Amino acid sequence: MGHNKKERWDNMEKINTKAEKVIDKIKKIYGGSGDVVNRIIDIKGTKVGCIFLESSSQTSTISDFIIKSTVLAEKDKNLFNNLLNILKNKLFNCQLFTIRDFNEFPYYLSSGFTIIVVDGYDEAIVMETKANLDRGITEATSEPIIRGSKDSFTESHSKNLGLIRKRIKDPNLWFNEIKIGRRTKTKTTIAYINGIADDKKIKEIKKRLQKIDIDGILDSGNIRDYLTTQKSIFPQIKSSERPDIACQELLNGKIIILVENSPFILILPTVFLDYLKSPEDQNQKSVNITFTRILRFIALIITILTPAIYIAVATYDQNTIPDKLLISLAVQREGVPFPTFFEIILFMTIFEVLRESDIRSPSNMTTAMSIVGALVLGQAAVDASIVSPITIIIVAITSISSLIFQDTDFINGIRFWRFLFIIASSMLGAIGIISMCLLLITKIASLENIETSFLSPLAPLEIDANKDTIIKFSNKDIFKRPKYISTKNETKQGGGK
Amino acid sequence: MKKLILLIICLSLCGCNDYAELNRLSLVTAAAIDKNQNKYEVTLLIANSPKQDTSAKEGEAKTTVYKANGNTIASAIKAIDRKTPKQLYFSHINVVVISEEIGKEGFLKIADWLIRNPQTRNRFYLVQVNKDKASDVLKIISPLESFPSQSIATLIESNKNSRAIGDSASYSNFIGRILEKGYEPLMPTININGNPKKGAKQENVETAEPSTYLSLGNLAIYKGDKLIKTTNKKESEMIHIINNEAKELLYSVKYKDNHASIYSNDLKTKIKLNNSNSLDIYVKGTGTIYEINGPINLNKIKNLKKLEKKWNKSLKKDIDETIKKIQNDYKSDIFGFGNLIYKNYPKKWKKIENNWNSKYFKNLKIKIHTNVKIVSTGSLTKTLEGEK
Repeated sequence: MGHNKKERWDNMEKINTKAEKVIDKIKKIYGGSGDVVNRIIDIKGTKVGCIFLESSSQTSTISDFIIKSTVLAEKDKNLFNNLLNILKNKLFNCQLFTIRDFNEFPYYLSSGFTIIVVDGYDEAIVMETKANLDRGITEATSEPIIRGSKDSFTESHSKNLGLIRKRIKDPNLWFNEIKIGRRTKTKTTIAYINGIADDKKIKEIKKRLQKIDIDGILDSGNIRDYLTTQKSIFPQIKSSERPDIACQELLNGKIIILVENSPFILILPTVFLDYLKSPEDQNQKSVNITFTRILRFIALIITILTPAIYIAVATYDQNTIPDKLLISLAVQREGVPFPTFFEIILFMTIFEVLRESDIRSPSNMTTAMSIVGALVLGQAAVDASIVSPITIIIVAITSISSLIFQDTDFINGIRFWRFLFIIASSMLGAIGIISMCLLLITKIASLENIETSFLSPLAPLEIDANKDTIIKFSNKDIFKRPKYISTKNETKQGGGK
Repeated sequence: MKKLILLIICLSLCGCNDYAELNRLSLVTAAAIDKNQNKYEVTLLIANSPKQDTSAKEGEAKTTVYKANGNTIASAIKAIDRKTPKQLYFSHINVVVISEEIGKEGFLKIADWLIRNPQTRNRFYLVQVNKDKASDVLKIISPLESFPSQSIATLIESNKNSRAIGDSASYSNFIGRILEKGYEPLMPTININGNPKKGAKQENVETAEPSTYLSLGNLAIYKGDKLIKTTNKKESEMIHIINNEAKELLYSVKYKDNHASIYSNDLKTKIKLNNSNSLDIYVKGTGTIYEINGPINLNKIKNLKKLEKKWNKSLKKDIDETIKKIQNDYKSDIFGFGNLIYKNYPKKWKKIENNWNSKYFKNLKIKIHTNVKIVSTGSLTKTLEGEK
């Protein structure tokens, strides 16, 4: 906050000592907006002005307490202090303080504060009268789990911080707040556990956040691009709406970024293998989790490679598959007017359109869409010999396997590479697939963010950290925190060597 | 941007040369080669021809057979290519059937095309048809398999252990033996039982008892690449034992006017070369009594030992007779004894190499030692007649 405050001090504007003039000025700043409400109370000649925004404040609190107390204040030598004392004693509200800078007025007013100005004083009393504009804490919708806590982050910044605090009671859990956005002034909190998280990484993240000079930040997704340096189709920052995930990562030494009005937090640093993990991995038996992760890894390979391999096998490398399968494929393709490549591209595209429209459309339209998608595009297209049944199978396998991952950005990253693979295999067959594999591995391996390689802990190899990657050891046996996240305070639990 | 353009140019220059859509290919799964006057008659079995309707739902392929003559195999195939609307694709050839005539004339003459063609793989089965035309074999529709080439392949594979033809039936193995020194190849044969013309019709498989069907025949002995003679069943079995390929054997022993069937699945044969002129063959293994059709009390160890002795003796006799016959009548070293001499006594081999099959192989002194044991009598200890 220091950076912003300093700037503000430099061009500080004094508060006019005439209450009426202050009110007029605010009305003018807000362009005569209807929700700017003011009340001028005359206390034996001295005018006291109350200003608040009806839209973001709780009006009942203001009329019940503040204006009542103001009337009670007597004309004194020091009306301002008198008023402040009354408010302090009458109201049990901890957010009560004075400011001297007129430039801060809009921020507090928009945040739902009430400002009281008194004739003859260049100070103003600021008091929180925020209206409750948030929804309550609900179940996580984008990362549903079977076994584990069900709450999720909401749009309320303080509630989000509270959800983390309530899980980690250590005072070393530090929240550093920065306001981003020239117009939105969005509160952004960098959360980490002091003593575990890597200082260098915290510093780097702060530096990058402070550099942002944009008019508005509305969601944590908006600042993702500022936190990475390399171009990549795969997301390098994982986001989550689950407080238990946030806390788990904090305990591992990662750094969490919470953005006001966004139920999604950002986790840094993120590595490739994090996308193979699911929120409830820590809550289940480790052997089962290992099995599930191997399954996810296979799904990853299937979803990237299946259509490409099919094209390669059907158009170039027919000699690589058993004869019975080849004959079955050949008979299925009989009568289909399109080349294999076009057929696959066509149906992959139709599936992507279907998926996109399913996300965007209101829920009461999904039934109609699934009928159209499944019956018309699947069954009817095969019956009409527009596509071969195997193409439908390939597209189905591919898309089902991609939906095993939770992060939409990751799914879309896979989709991009899948199309690259399809193009490569349709031009070069198996050789195309192999060269594309090399390209993909090279690309993933070359990614790096805040001094963490995207393929850690596999490359560079860190054997101890691999106890919780694809193979998950029992929680009992993981004693150390992964070094690629932070080298400070390595020991996680007692009993290890 | 420059890099991208370069990449696009590179990609568009290479590739696409062996591009072929699946539905534009004729998948050849079997070939048959006959001699027609002075020309080769090549018959190809094409597996993917949806004859009736194009609905792929059935997933069932119908087969078509194409035939053409030519001075060489390649020219005959070119002639077939002109008949088929789609491009012939050879990489999935399963079976190549040759006629007796081709075998007698020499197989290497036609082997050239099979190896030289980059599409064909060397892992197909090579069989020789007995008496009939090779092309007829491809036409016989099997009731249990979807198309003929599959039925031949399955026939060979399912008999791999009991008749050990899996090894000798593979094409690469056959060629390997022709080229190896002191080794002569074997080839499995196939019979058409019944009328070949009836077997080519769909009605044949629609009856409960197909009148025409394929069955596996005995081994054919080759010398170099030329067919010498087809053996009988007993000889085939003994050849397998000597070649250490017989994994399963059902052997019947005559014992006191009764027959006992002994099954063994662990027969092992070792050949020990003493010097360049004599060798020992050791046959070892265990057997289980499968059937006895007479009153023999097997509870008595004495009887069991007697039966065992009889088995040993009879097996030894059979092997001996087979070797003698091959040594004297066929004069073809299908066991690879010459190869053993070549490996152990290369200098000596050089002298005898040219006359090996005609002279030295015949005079090779071979001693047979059998050591087979009966370890189990099955679920019955006595015989049913004995129980009474």
